[in-house]
Amino acid sequence: MRLEMADKEKGHVWIRFKRPDSCLLAFTVIGSSLVIFAFLALATITVTQLADLPFLIQVALDSRVIDSILLTFGAGFAVVGILVLLGTPLAYVLARTHFRVNSLVEALIDIPLILPHTVAGIMVYLLFMQRGLLGAPFKEIGIVFEDAFPGIVVAMLFVAMPFYINTVREGFQKVPLHIENVARTLGATRFRAFAMVVLPLSKRHIMNGCVLAWGRAISEFAAVIMIAYYPMIVSTLIYYRFTTGGLKESSAIAFLMILASFSVFLVLRVATRYLGSYDDRV
Amino acid sequence: MMIAFDRVSLALGDFALHEISFTVDKGEYFFIIGPSGAGKTIILEAIAGLHVPDQGCILLSGRDVSQIPPEQRGVGLVYQDYSLFPHMNVEKNISFGLKMHKLPSNEIKQTVEALLSRFGVGHLRSRAPLTLSGGEMQRVALARALAISPDVLLLDEPLSALDPTMKEYFIHELRTIHQETGLTIIQVSHDRHEILSLGTRMALIMDGCLEQEGSVGRVYESPVSRRVAEFIGYENVIDGVVVSSEGGECLINAEGMQLHALYSIPEGRPVTFCIGADEVIVHPHGAPAAVHENEIAGIVTSLTQAGYLTRVRIDAGAVLSAVMIREMAEEMALKAGSLVSVSIRKKAIRIIGQK
Repeated sequence: MRLEMADKEKGHVWIRFKRPDSCLLAFTVIGSSLVIFAFLALATITVTQLADLPFLIQVALDSRVIDSILLTFGAGFAVVGILVLLGTPLAYVLARTHFRVNSLVEALIDIPLILPHTVAGIMVYLLFMQRGLLGAPFKEIGIVFEDAFPGIVVAMLFVAMPFYINTVREGFQKVPLHIENVARTLGATRFRAFAMVVLPLSKRHIMNGCVLAWGRAISEFAAVIMIAYYPMIVSTLIYYRFTTGGLKESSAIAFLMILASFSVFLVLRVATRYLGSYDDRV
Repeated sequence: MMIAFDRVSLALGDFALHEISFTVDKGEYFFIIGPSGAGKTIILEAIAGLHVPDQGCILLSGRDVSQIPPEQRGVGLVYQDYSLFPHMNVEKNISFGLKMHKLPSNEIKQTVEALLSRFGVGHLRSRAPLTLSGGEMQRVALARALAISPDVLLLDEPLSALDPTMKEYFIHELRTIHQETGLTIIQVSHDRHEILSLGTRMALIMDGCLEQEGSVGRVYESPVSRRVAEFIGYENVIDGVVVSSEGGECLINAEGMQLHALYSIPEGRPVTFCIGADEVIVHPHGAPAAVHENEIAGIVTSLTQAGYLTRVRIDAGAVLSAVMIREMAEEMALKAGSLVSVSIRKKAIRIIGQK
């Protein structure tokens, strides 16, 4: 270890140079290639777009583009809403029971993770097309999925489901059973113990699940176009403009989408920074 | 009778309770002891209604409560880890049960204030539980459990996570609570000191079975089996044979040691007896002894320091464990190989499974 001496007003102060952690240093060098990759991708599109600001503004004011972004985000929020209502109870059951069937259910939920999304799209289409097992009865009550908003939502739901359920299940598992037990001995019914103790203690995981599922939903393309090419979500619009109008137009929409998504994520992150932070205060 | 287990069997995963029966009277301070994994916590949770027995029944105040959920049983439960609600402050933790019971808000306020000052945690009212010390959490957990005025208080190793000074303080505190409220308390513990300080009666559970139930004094005086004796802390558990018996006394021969005990047991019967390490009195060989019962000579085989105590192992035919004040051991200049005399009072020899 190298030591250097520095003079101060009174006497000497030893400054110690610490030997750097060679493992961390090496890994930083290796790992930074990925950071550079992401950064370059972002920088390239930003520089290209900012170079022609008037065109970017023109695209941004195009009502088809605005509608498409709103449609995509709206469908994403609908997916999150459905997951909160239906996925939360499922996640709780999976967290609190230990039946053999659980691993089967978990595998089933995870299927979209391991499938090409075109395959997921075919599955959703077969189920929800007008002659499909679920599509037919829904058609009876006037809900059609093909080339319609509900079609976009079910396709996004299918691929986003595992992100929400797995995250929330993990949150529920982290709530000690003892805490729930105590709540019950103090007079809470099972439902109240869930609402008053388990749910608030899992806030952070629920929020994370929502953000992940929303992000996954709005980024879906392949599964959505199988059942609903129209109305065009942003991914579809970008692809359509790419094949018809070329790179310039499609990359402008892409850049706008980056800005919009980033802002939403940023707002969510800031808003939920202190959510459920008591569990890491120890 | 406050609580009765009547041949309760309960299986949970790999674990099972087998036909457990015991009773706890109103106002008793009852201890459940046993090795880790013996099923003590499950018994507490079954009393609280968190598990329903597969067979047998649990009676609370004479009523079969098998179908009554925990929220209607009026049983307070404090876990070893306190299980405070981390998302509520101290005040809200204590008022939780009262809110669940839908009491009027002024009544809730009154009760909570009384408990905050009773347990000296008023200044912590708006603190988050995870910022409290162990002793503070313990007080909040007790206050929260007592808020609903339960008929029975269940304590799952409540003192095991506290330092020795706090432990002593809480033993005193629990005794006071027991005396003030007249509550029926059931406590799970490993600690002999807690049991002897607080307990009126106790049950010993091993491998999901009830080994012994009785008053604390009785269990310590006459353990029913070798493993009970070993578990409750007898370091000397020795096999022998009765060689003579007369006038309410018998002479036992154990590996060459001749010991008199206050039992009338027929000659020739094999027995197992236990002696507490603190009841083996060691003195210098040849010096006059304070106790003139069962005097035998032996050789020190090892010495272990344990705080202000010294554990001495002595070969006197059978190997005996003795414990003495460290000062005394130093005074006698004991070391491995020292020749010593040992005396054991007749009443300190407890034959297992007798009386």
